[in-house]
Amino acid sequence: MTDSRRYFDDIAVGETYESPGRTVTEADIVIFAGLSGDYNVLHTDAEFMKSSIFGERIAHGLLGLAIQSGLFTRAGIPYATLGLGTLRWKFKGPIKIGDTIRVRARVTAKEEASKPDRGVVTVERQVLNQRDEVVQEGETDLIVERRPAG
Amino acid sequence: MTLTETHVGLYAGLSQDPPADAGLVPELLPLCLTTGLGWRVPQPPLAVLAFMGFEWEVLLPVRVGDTIHSLARTAVKRSMREGGVIVEERQVINQRGEIVHRGRFTYLVAKRPPA
Repeated sequence: MTDSRRYFDDIAVGETYESPGRTVTEADIVIFAGLSGDYNVLHTDAEFMKSSIFGERIAHGLLGLAIQSGLFTRAGIPYATLGLGTLRWKFKGPIKIGDTIRVRARVTAKEEASKPDRGVVTVERQVLNQRDEVVQEGETDLIVERRPAG
Repeated sequence: MTLTETHVGLYAGLSQDPPADAGLVPELLPLCLTTGLGWRVPQPPLAVLAFMGFEWEVLLPVRVGDTIHSLARTAVKRSMREGGVIVEERQVINQRGEIVHRGRFTYLVAKRPPA
């Protein structure tokens, strides 16, 4: 079986990726509220939110984070990822029901880890809506396998 | 909260991330659950106007069947014209008392309206 995943050795600093889009639905927000237990009025009370600065319910920030994680995987050939190390993240604007978001990402650093079988790849990511506004952005340090010898 | 296959399945449907190894909980899931766990403390929740950002560190893997809880501490409080900024330090701890994830959340919180 051929292994098409990209190893630490295959990834170059400066590579960029752009994901397909995904429309965020009311169902996404309702399911996320049930799963997380975060029933803040921002996400659950349409009437209250009419008089807020947003004018309507908005998606949980962490829902946007979860969605971008799946979109990133679809943005290129998946990495041979062992795990996520650290994450630095900013919420810049609301994601509303019906918005279509996508991820634009760039590899900003690569560092060998103390264990010889892995390295850390730093990826800068922006989550954009259909108007090209950055709604979230941040950096993730991914732990990626090195290409096995042989 | 005990993490189940159901949590993992619901999360997989939302994120559309390909499943990790069987029995492993996706790294971002405990982070998503910790905000809800915060609602179940005896204190009323913060009057959050906006979640501004966070830093998060994954220290140990979390598996289906693990029971997690969350510890939070207000680390910084800064008053602004409209509302104030609260920085909360948060840990996710498993049933063996190990800190599995930890980080800092920054919120914009409303000021008490004048009576």
